[in-house]
Amino acid sequence: MDNLLSEGLTLMVFGMGFVFTFLTLLVGVTTMMSKLVVKFEPAPQPKAAPTRSALPAVAQGGSDELVAVITAAVHKYRS
Amino acid sequence: MDKLLDLWLASGIYNISLGQFVMIVVGLLLLYLAIRKNFEPLLLVPIGFGGIMANIPEAGLAFSAVENAVHFATPELLAGFAAVLGITSVDPHDVLHAYHTSSASVHAATTLFANDNNFNNGMLYNFYTVAIASGAAPLIIFMGVGAMTDFGPLLANPKTLFLGAAAQFGIFATVLGAVGLTSMGLMDFSIQDAAAIGIIGGADGPTAIYVASLLSPQLLGAIAVAAYSYMALVPLIQPPIMRALTTEAERKIQMVQLRHISKLEKILFPLSLLILVAMLLPDAAPLLGMFCFGNLMRECGVVDRLSDTAQNALINIVTIFLGLSVGSKLSADKFLDMQTLGILVLGIVAFGIGTAMGILMAKFMNKLAGGNSINPLIGSAGVSAVPMAARVSNKLGLEANSQNFLLMHAMGPNVAGVIGSAVAAGVMIKFVG
Repeated sequence: MDNLLSEGLTLMVFGMGFVFTFLTLLVGVTTMMSKLVVKFEPAPQPKAAPTRSALPAVAQGGSDELVAVITAAVHKYRS
Repeated sequence: MDKLLDLWLASGIYNISLGQFVMIVVGLLLLYLAIRKNFEPLLLVPIGFGGIMANIPEAGLAFSAVENAVHFATPELLAGFAAVLGITSVDPHDVLHAYHTSSASVHAATTLFANDNNFNNGMLYNFYTVAIASGAAPLIIFMGVGAMTDFGPLLANPKTLFLGAAAQFGIFATVLGAVGLTSMGLMDFSIQDAAAIGIIGGADGPTAIYVASLLSPQLLGAIAVAAYSYMALVPLIQPPIMRALTTEAERKIQMVQLRHISKLEKILFPLSLLILVAMLLPDAAPLLGMFCFGNLMRECGVVDRLSDTAQNALINIVTIFLGLSVGSKLSADKFLDMQTLGILVLGIVAFGIGTAMGILMAKFMNKLAGGNSINPLIGSAGVSAVPMAARVSNKLGLEANSQNFLLMHAMGPNVAGVIGSAVAAGVMIKFVG
């Protein structure tokens, strides 16, 4: 009987210890993985960059012809 | 007149035993809870119906060919079984006992002998063999759960894994409770039984069934019914414990919004978890391997068809057979004894302790982090029961502060609980399997 109880106690100590060790390691691995990913593939910036550079490009390099066509279209639509 | 007598002697009314009658009532009760009260209907409908079918007198749907043969056997047939099994007694109980304890080769020979005499496995027995005894159904369901799980909240705040770990204390405390009851002479559980009962505290149906099928198949029916009933009762069991252990001010704590998680991180997480399992605890590999596989299918984005099947069609098919198979274990001789009562009591204790430990851990982490960044209510979600436990945390948070949306924060510990209970299951299988 006492044997069974001590077996249960061992299982509890080892089991709980192992679950904590494993999940602590998982926290470490996950954090490290996230840091590496953020470092080598900065996700949000590439998305933001094209939109910022794209807008002024249209404004500056947009041909006068295009502006004229659009203006004409708007006038036609409004009249 | 003889014909009429034969018909009467073969009827259910003539043959039904009290135990079978009680179990049919239990099956009807499970159906009532599922249909009327909406308790985990996806599982309790098949389990309840399977339970009723398993107890139909003389049909022997839940029994193997040999058990059916012995039930109907003539004295000559029993003598034949005794010869195959190498025993001298022709008492049906002795024959069955010898059959259950025999080696695999003798077991097969006995089954073939029964087949030769035109006896076959019951339908539910076959379902059980294919779905649960092989370990397939719980693992396929785990794959589907993986495909349904979004690890985003966990990745945004990896520390919530500690909450999932703390809540597993309920499992091990219950193991101690079960062996304690045995030491006091109140129950008769082996250490394997105790481990299988403890897993109920993980609040994870497939894990509980998987562990029970490996460690303690004779208790599987009671353990599965307890696990699924208590999962349905999460919204009733947890809130009183959560209110008792937290202060009004703590429940009002608002948490900062979670950061955005890139797709690459979500793809790498299941792979990192798999490698960690492979290195440290191969015994948890079946459960966590399937879980990671399902999650990778979801996140990688190139096999949407497979992911869709795993989380919808396949999991539904498997659930039907899993439920019926669990129902087949609800036969009177296995379910109606004091052990079942003990399992039901220990199961709810396991649940309560798990919830309490999760909350205490969250309070501790909150203190460490300065006292105003982690709402202890999310700790209770560390027992798996996805997503019910997280919803309970959210509801209590809203009660304390109507601007306090904890759902996403609680999903972190919630999925951490799934990983935690699978790890705990691996440890159990390793140590006592």
